[in-house]
Amino acid sequence: MSAGFFIIAVIGTLGLAGLLFWSLRGASHRKTVDHGFHVFDSAPRHLRNMAQIRQAMDRADLEYAAEKGGQQLSARIRSERRRVTLLYLAAIRRDFEQSLRVARIVAVLSPEVSGSQEYERLRLSMVFRLRFYAIRLGLHLGNVAQPQILALGQMTASFAMQLEETMARLGERAALAAELALQSEQ
Amino acid sequence: MPVLSELPTSTLVLWGLATLLTLLLLGRMIAVNQCRDFPLFCVYLSMNLLQTAVGVLLYQRYGFTSTFAYRIGWATQAFVVAARALAAAEVCYLILGKYKGVWALAARILSCCGLLVLSLALWFGRNGYQVGMATLEIGLEASIATCIAGLFLFARYYHIRILSLTGMLGLGLGMLSCFKILNDLVFERLAKRYGDAWNLASSGAFVAILLIWIWALRKPVSVRFPGPQLSPVKVYASLIPQVNRQLVELNERLTQLWHLESPKS
Repeated sequence: MSAGFFIIAVIGTLGLAGLLFWSLRGASHRKTVDHGFHVFDSAPRHLRNMAQIRQAMDRADLEYAAEKGGQQLSARIRSERRRVTLLYLAAIRRDFEQSLRVARIVAVLSPEVSGSQEYERLRLSMVFRLRFYAIRLGLHLGNVAQPQILALGQMTASFAMQLEETMARLGERAALAAELALQSEQ
Repeated sequence: MPVLSELPTSTLVLWGLATLLTLLLLGRMIAVNQCRDFPLFCVYLSMNLLQTAVGVLLYQRYGFTSTFAYRIGWATQAFVVAARALAAAEVCYLILGKYKGVWALAARILSCCGLLVLSLALWFGRNGYQVGMATLEIGLEASIATCIAGLFLFARYYHIRILSLTGMLGLGLGMLSCFKILNDLVFERLAKRYGDAWNLASSGAFVAILLIWIWALRKPVSVRFPGPQLSPVKVYASLIPQVNRQLVELNERLTQLWHLESPKS
């Protein structure tokens, strides 16, 4: 047995043991998925501000401010807009997390789960988080990342569309079941 | 017991204690009818006891230096590991089985992960071990631990609560597997210096995990696993249009977004 394999195997096993504790701790401390109505109360609602955010981050807008009000004003506007953009980013993330929660409930309550849909959601959420942190870092470093933020917002929306399809299918099943129950009662 | 007395006292004590605790746990599970809830886990405990009995008979008859006894000893280990794998699968089913959709997905993914880890362990360790069974054991233990960790991750991701009892059983199985891997790796690497300590550590870890299982199964009442509280059809029928309306609204906002001008720069 090579020393390399030995070290990798030992580290891997210790990591696995740590993962066991971490994941069990998370699963046993959390409440069971909430099946109540209120989960659906706060639908994604921050996309309506996308146009203002786009405007606020427009380079031409800032150049105009610098030209008319000077560099000091431009810097102040840039700083304020960056703060607003960060808040907007956080709001987009909340929207996304909310949609994920709804999707989890749908998956848990569904007798059939599509592997590709679940994988897609997992992939989307990973990509979302990566982009989210990359954009936030970029904003903190002073880079205005308009295209990336737009991509994030679009990702949230496309995910919600997927949810709609799933929910519609569940709705059809529920309607069919209700009809069957009604027939059996008659 | 002339042959067994050659073993260090500490090893004998731990071996005896492990056997006693296994008997106690199995006996208690049978007495309070918990075997009905965890049949494969009981099979695993029985296999452990059987392995101990076979080991005692073998070593008494052939001694510790016998190649035949050594090989048979490792062969019985394969059955015990296989029984533990089944017990782990049982724990997986007890936690996720109620959620049919998620379970179908998890079973596929966890099986694939387990097989992948087993194959990797066998491939990378193919030339390194004195006994092929040790390689197989490491591979199987790694696949068991991976499946248990994957199970917990699934439960965490879907916000499925794990009952303390099943969680402890799963954790015990997973930790035992991790420990066995470490033990086998270190034994293989430092076999000459490690000899007796290997037996001691192995028995010690098993005793600790048995104590966790006994504590988890301390309640005499047979544990029932409630199914998920699925919403009735009427709730679904009223809930779905509500959600769909919200999503339609979201789509409309998205459509508004599409109609905005593209960035200037």
